[in-house]
Amino acid sequence: MWETLANLAAGLAASLEPLNFLMILVGLAIGIVAGALPGITMLNSIVLVLPFTYLMEIVPSLLLMTSIYIGGVFGGSITGILFNIPGDPMNVPTTWEGYQLNKKGQVRLALGMAIMASAIGGFLSALILTFASPPFAKVALTFSTVEYFAVVVLGLASVVVIGQVSVAGALMSLFAGMFLGTVGTEAQYGITRFAFGIKFLETGIDFVTVLIGLFAIGEVLDQLSGSKAGAGGDAAAPSTSRARLPSPRQLWALRGSIVRGLGTGVVIGAIPGAGATVASFVSYGLEKQVSKEPERFGTGVLEGLTASETSVNASTGGAMIPLLTLGIPGSGATAVMMGAFLLHGVQPGPLLFSKSPHEVYTIFVGMLLANLIMIVMGLLAARSFAQLMKVPEPILAAFIITFCFIGAYALRNDMADVWLTMLFGVLGFFMRRYNLPIPPLILGVILGPLAEQYFLTSMVSYGNDVTVFFTRPVSAAVLLTSAGLLLWPALKGWLARRKALRV
Amino acid sequence: MRSLRGAIGPALIFLAGAGLFAAAGRLPVVPVPGQLGPDFWPRLVLIGLMASCVLKILEVARGREGGGEPAALLPLSRPKLAGGMALVLGYPALAPLLGFPLTTSFFLLAFMRLAGTRRPLPLLVTALLGTVALLYLFVKVVYLPLPKGAGVMEDFTIFLYRLLRIF
Repeated sequence: MWETLANLAAGLAASLEPLNFLMILVGLAIGIVAGALPGITMLNSIVLVLPFTYLMEIVPSLLLMTSIYIGGVFGGSITGILFNIPGDPMNVPTTWEGYQLNKKGQVRLALGMAIMASAIGGFLSALILTFASPPFAKVALTFSTVEYFAVVVLGLASVVVIGQVSVAGALMSLFAGMFLGTVGTEAQYGITRFAFGIKFLETGIDFVTVLIGLFAIGEVLDQLSGSKAGAGGDAAAPSTSRARLPSPRQLWALRGSIVRGLGTGVVIGAIPGAGATVASFVSYGLEKQVSKEPERFGTGVLEGLTASETSVNASTGGAMIPLLTLGIPGSGATAVMMGAFLLHGVQPGPLLFSKSPHEVYTIFVGMLLANLIMIVMGLLAARSFAQLMKVPEPILAAFIITFCFIGAYALRNDMADVWLTMLFGVLGFFMRRYNLPIPPLILGVILGPLAEQYFLTSMVSYGNDVTVFFTRPVSAAVLLTSAGLLLWPALKGWLARRKALRV
Repeated sequence: MRSLRGAIGPALIFLAGAGLFAAAGRLPVVPVPGQLGPDFWPRLVLIGLMASCVLKILEVARGREGGGEPAALLPLSRPKLAGGMALVLGYPALAPLLGFPLTTSFFLLAFMRLAGTRRPLPLLVTALLGTVALLYLFVKVVYLPLPKGAGVMEDFTIFLYRLLRIF
């Protein structure tokens, strides 16, 4: 405990160093603006700053990225409430209630509540992360490759099931991503797989090219072709963009929604592959379930807005737990952060806490500070955002692609990575068009090679005995949970059909 | 008819998976006693891919495809899409030949025009100033060696950099 507090004090001192503090402010500003602009997701903006971090030390790099993450998951709620245009899918439940509150003339309260709920959710989840991660990492140190393989399988299974419309489509996407992860020279035998004589494929496909292409370029092409409504919305210009923070009494009255949103956000955020979007929908649904007046949801209910907004920011702390303690990125944003760790020669995982405590605790304190500063930044953003919304979409789209070009090129100073990014962008468009979910593919590219490595190492260690995955208790429990997750949709359908037959 | 259309994609991916499965069998494997070969994992993944394609085809055939109206049936501007894809793929094709500054200016101009910006002056100013800002940021500040072009275009890019005092 005292060691943790001492580390936190050192982290606070480091976070307040001019460059580090500046990165928190810049990151929050970029995150809030990018999160609010439709077409630039929080994830895209983290990817786009990646080239800038090459020249920085690891601490300011990660403070910049985590602050963008924190600001980005909140930013989309501003435009959602003001214009009925959620900046990101995760802000959709907030928009459902927030825009209705706006139409009722309570826009200032809606904005203020969104800011406070986000800050509270993010701050408390960062506290949970600070105190829960070190003991979790100690347990994780006792894991062998068998348990790591099981945890990776859980990550792969959860991304398939949670929040997906079609499990078969998600599985297709996931296995395609895992296959892409096998391209290039493999580690055990040094044999090149599936390069088909193409030189640059021999070094493998960098997941950042897949990430930038599928998300950013695919989205731009989708909006350009008109299959998705861009900015504009049906709302008139907001009457006022000033926010009013809720009083302590108003916050206390909503304590149940905040606690439920916090719990949902941290737990779902910590599940690899789930993330803020799933957390926001689940917490909104949960809030509706426990409400005495569920029929009022969708007409401007503060409880719905508060729960979803708390959970979205609470998921940021949760998502950092598997990254820092297991070295497994639980979301696209943490995957890019893992890339930043690796770029600086630091391997996230249980040893991170003993090898690099200074860096880890500075990130923790940075997250706590960022959530507090976000209250002020959120108020400022809400006031001035009506102006930023005037940036024409064609200009935004063109510059997004140019930033993607530079981001991909900066990976290895190789045009091949730019080509791959652009080709994945075209693929991303068709995946959107044909309802194939993109996150499973990304997670497949990232987690697939890890799964292969852990599986093959386990097989070498245990003489090709696959029963080892079921005889070690932690591994067996985690794999059983994965099987449960995969079977849940089928079970749910069967139960629903039985219920319908009874009626 | 609609269900047939929905099954084409998974069927094609299934066939690609089968082809890659066969290709995995041709990997130059040197067997090491007690170890699984480099073809084991990709084959396992490809079996999963093909099985999920079959699941998807069955889902489509049963009419249980989730997600409501498929996006493929929503209205789409084919000329804009074709133009967008041509620009997105033409950008990396031309950059090594013409150099980043010139290609980016052309790209920004063309893309903004395609996306709906009509007035020529804002188009031109945004494209040129945007390119200059990007050059300062990434070449001068971040030292990123962005493509300079080939032959005479490389000389032109270097001339431009000197003119802008980038180096």
